[in-house]
Amino acid sequence: MVAVFLSPLIFVAYTSLVGDHGFSLAYYGEILTEPLYRRVAEISFEISILATICTLVVAYPIAYHLAKRTPRQRALLVILVLLPFWTSILVKSFAFTVLLGRAGIVNTMLGALGLGPLPMLFNRTGVMIGLTHFLVPFMVFAILPSLLSQPPELRRAAELMGAGRIRIFCAVTLPLSLPGVVAGLLICFILALGTFVTPALLGGRTDLMIANLIDFHIHETLDWNLGSALAVLLAVITAICALAISRIRGGNLFGHT
Amino acid sequence: MEERRLRTLPSFLASTAAWLAYVFLVLPSLIVVPMSFGDKDEFVFPPHSLSLYLYRRYFFESTWMQVTVQSLVVGLCSMIGALVLGCGAAYGLDRYQFPGKRALTLFLLSPIFVPAIVIALGLYLYLGRFHLVGTTPGLIISHTIITMPFVIISVSAGLRHVDRDLETAAMVMGASRLLIVRRVTLPLLRPALVAGGLFAFLISFDEVVIAYFISNVQTQTLPVKMYSTIHWEISPVLAAVSTLMSLLSLSVCLFVAFLQRNEQR
Repeated sequence: MVAVFLSPLIFVAYTSLVGDHGFSLAYYGEILTEPLYRRVAEISFEISILATICTLVVAYPIAYHLAKRTPRQRALLVILVLLPFWTSILVKSFAFTVLLGRAGIVNTMLGALGLGPLPMLFNRTGVMIGLTHFLVPFMVFAILPSLLSQPPELRRAAELMGAGRIRIFCAVTLPLSLPGVVAGLLICFILALGTFVTPALLGGRTDLMIANLIDFHIHETLDWNLGSALAVLLAVITAICALAISRIRGGNLFGHT
Repeated sequence: MEERRLRTLPSFLASTAAWLAYVFLVLPSLIVVPMSFGDKDEFVFPPHSLSLYLYRRYFFESTWMQVTVQSLVVGLCSMIGALVLGCGAAYGLDRYQFPGKRALTLFLLSPIFVPAIVIALGLYLYLGRFHLVGTTPGLIISHTIITMPFVIISVSAGLRHVDRDLETAAMVMGASRLLIVRRVTLPLLRPALVAGGLFAFLISFDEVVIAYFISNVQTQTLPVKMYSTIHWEISPVLAAVSTLMSLLSLSVCLFVAFLQRNEQR
């Protein structure tokens, strides 16, 4: 049995090693000193952090709403979250080009309200909307367990002691859900950092992210070494975040027992 | 009265926010449906008249069908690969204790968290050595690797529900290890296998970044074709393709939910 899964293990190990193949520290030096790479790294971090925060703002109400339903209602509503989760990123990107374009549906509606067309596609806004949409399900599934595991007696006790709803939320629900929120933030951050499709399809020329730069080096300039060095950096950042998540969840990275 | 309103206002706001968020989530998946019934090669919403024109273009233009078949082949083959390897790995991890087990688990599941672009690059350089870049076997190997973790998770969860006493009983009655796995464990795991396999298929069918690196013009998959179409010449046929793909996702999603409900009963 060990042999059965040892072969893919060796395979993956070898593959990951080959990703590192042929670099010397000079390439990393180039990445760190060259303004273009610094710029792309900054943009990537900026977009990822902002998108992660937007995701939290959208996802927390959903998780909170789901946590308060009966199991039966929850099962139905979860489908609304699972549907975009299982929808191809390309379907979503296509839908957003239709929705957000200059003559798109959102701008047509804004025009009817007397507002000028807003540029929402092929710029930072497009990337933010697309990324947030992509990340929300992950955040919901990170937060939901930490909300569901709170014993209802806690709320009742707080209610009996005369706390209002906002007070209960701020003093009981929110602090207890923080581990889920932090895990969700980290998960979304690493997912955002590695995205390739969304910035390529919804972003403008100046919204190049790390993944797109890697693609550029592999397909256009054929500078595999630089591309690999970038990929290794990206993987290292991801690994650090993944370790942090696993710490939060008591050594369990994937959140199931 | 005043107090009552104060109590309900926050929760009203909370559920409004939640519903707005649901709409935001589902809208893109739904918007492509009316678009797909448009009757011309242009983007007008809502379409002037309903027709199946775009579907006809999708089904009868050879390139679209070709990439769809390619995606189905790659999806099915990598699903089988992921099921076989993932099932073995999950069984080994669940039933045997050995040093480095946690590290191995983390490692086997790592394709979920490592950015797709990093995996794509690793595979591109690695498979390139064996001249497998641009070939269908190369695609299948790549997709087997990235879908296997999902099978492992699904089967591991299933194994935890399998009644160990049944296996012990079979062993007491003199069945060999292999016979037990074949006659007792695997049939009990069927729901987990079906769910894991379906997800593996769906992930392979939707995957674009790795396929974009590994395939070439002759072996490109449906998502790669969609990607380049959106990138270069947004065509309304995409609406029909997108609708069909959403439909596929939805039916798999509902089917698995249905399976799980049956299992719980």
